[in-house]
Amino acid sequence: MAVARVDRLTYRHHDAKRPALEDVCLELRAGELVCVLGPSGSGKSTLLRALAGLVPHFHGGSFAGRVEVGGLDTRRARPSEVAGIVASVFQDPEDQVVFTQVENEVEFGLENLGVAPPEIPRRARTALEAVGVGALAARRTPQLSAGELQRVCLASALALRPDLLLLDEPTSQLDPESAAGLFALLANLEAAVVVSEQRPALPLERCDRVLFLERGRLLLDAPRELALEWLAENRPAYLVSPRPEHESFVAGPRVLALNEVSYAYATDEGVGPASLELARGEVVVLAGPNGSGKTTLAKLAAGLLEPQRGEIARSGRAAYLSQDPGRYVVAERVDEEVALGVGGDLRRGHAALEPVGLAGFACRHPRDLSSGERERVALASVLVTQPDLLVLDEPTRGMDPDRKHALAQLLRADAAKRATLVVTHDAHFAADVADRIVTLGSQKEAVLAA
Amino acid sequence: MSPVPAAVLLGGFAVAALLADRTLSVAVIAAVLLAVCLRAPRRRRWPYLVGTLASGLVVFLLSPLLGSYGGIVYWEGPTVPVLGRLDVTSNEVEEALFQGLRLVAVGLAFAAYALLLDHDRLLQAGGWLRRSVLAIALATRLVPTLERDAAGYVEALRGRGVAVEGLRGRARLLSPLLAGSLERSLNLAESMEARGFGRPGRTRAPRAPWRPLDRLAVVGAALLVVGGIVWL
Repeated sequence: MAVARVDRLTYRHHDAKRPALEDVCLELRAGELVCVLGPSGSGKSTLLRALAGLVPHFHGGSFAGRVEVGGLDTRRARPSEVAGIVASVFQDPEDQVVFTQVENEVEFGLENLGVAPPEIPRRARTALEAVGVGALAARRTPQLSAGELQRVCLASALALRPDLLLLDEPTSQLDPESAAGLFALLANLEAAVVVSEQRPALPLERCDRVLFLERGRLLLDAPRELALEWLAENRPAYLVSPRPEHESFVAGPRVLALNEVSYAYATDEGVGPASLELARGEVVVLAGPNGSGKTTLAKLAAGLLEPQRGEIARSGRAAYLSQDPGRYVVAERVDEEVALGVGGDLRRGHAALEPVGLAGFACRHPRDLSSGERERVALASVLVTQPDLLVLDEPTRGMDPDRKHALAQLLRADAAKRATLVVTHDAHFAADVADRIVTLGSQKEAVLAA
Repeated sequence: MSPVPAAVLLGGFAVAALLADRTLSVAVIAAVLLAVCLRAPRRRRWPYLVGTLASGLVVFLLSPLLGSYGGIVYWEGPTVPVLGRLDVTSNEVEEALFQGLRLVAVGLAFAAYALLLDHDRLLQAGGWLRRSVLAIALATRLVPTLERDAAGYVEALRGRGVAVEGLRGRARLLSPLLAGSLERSLNLAESMEARGFGRPGRTRAPRAPWRPLDRLAVVGAALLVVGGIVWL
């Protein structure tokens, strides 16, 4: 049975030169798990918003064609009327949390839909447990890690028991184990589930059907097996590729040594005691489950936090890329933003934009960019400083597979100039870039190439 | 204590401070509220405490120069156009202390509200006023959110070797902070609408009933207001 129908949908954002979606037709059936792939800015998020009725009601712009969800025409029905039939989880979990307590956050949608009061706490608890955060019900949302917050947002959507569940990069903050658990859960739902992803390996394993968007056009709508063939032929970067053999790095002098360092926040979270050494020329990936302290260790390495115990020896200058690209919007133009780290030297700013594929974006305002583009501005802002120790915290958030591979190549090409520490949940990117993977939360340390 | 009685009690303290006539009464109220605020985590409470105490100090320092209440003259200054002759008298100092403490007491009541209350439950207690209370609760959360954002910007700048120092360095963050909060408000509004906010026929999750302490707090608030009028 069709849960949603999209018929010749063309949508253009206000003031945009070209449509974000062009002549898109599709039908979604109950119980199917649909994976939406495509490069950054291809219209994936816009398609999800159209299915939720938020396009055009919330975003304006020009809308042609028809989107019907649960028998409601989204041009006539407000998003709040479609809510319940559809539930959405957007890209940035921090921007969609209304309440300060987890339980209240999950109950919010149920209250709006008029669910019977005795039923509300029960459904909220069930949803939280389904995504593995039942123990967080009484916690305050500002105290949660990004991964935990993402799961709370998922629980808020699941609690509504929708016919159509729309998830925009739902695993961007999750460790591989949690992401696998999520997809196992999604595959067993009775609802139609549409997942837009930039880490395609897992959804491609579990999905029933694949959509591929490019420049707003639906290039592919096919069952999984056929889609894999199409991707292999046309977009191989989206498929799991064998780990490339890196050239053996020549270990230079030691740049960083963390010796039994530990740090605890007021909430008792933190890291330690942990030890790690990095030499000039090597790229080390720091992996581990959500909440294992990867970001804290990265900040200690970069000198943004002082250890409460243990010692740190660092030679040369360190630079740190925050996992939130929204922190790199201080200046009014992209080139000025990038040049902040080099005393406003615009020439160096422009030069740093080239390798991240943003040469034509110098005059744009950083806030006008997509999340993937913002991530690349953030990267350029850090790379321009030419540090001896480069610390990157989740640098591939919102990046499509081609961009990730390009970033891995960029980091490898310049690896000899510095020591590089990369925090990432993206196993394929890790394999693509790392000489060594250090897993926090266990004593395991894997050497990929030496 | 439940958030509604706690909010009523804090309101009672603020109203009592505004109604009281004696400096000592207002000083005691301010001291009690300061003790309450000190229960908040150190990192969160300092902007509120510094802001409130600094505002009170400014009132204490400036109002004797601008007021004219007579009494023993401690200092005589020049005559300034519009303001007239500047002087500081004993009565003016007493009045300045009283008004400064009053401002501090009201400011601390707000600080305790912002720092220690569960705004979610306060919001849910709003019932038919939910939309208005939601707007107030979200506005109240603006300050801690801006605080977090500012810390994030500073960290990202430090991460590329840019030190954020002095008034000028921090002033540079004002524009991105404002733009960021506008962007966040749009995203939040979108998320709320997608979860059915504004739809008729909403219900409320059952909440725990009031305990004796909650009732005592409401009675205490009423007594504070009456006391402010009659005795303080």
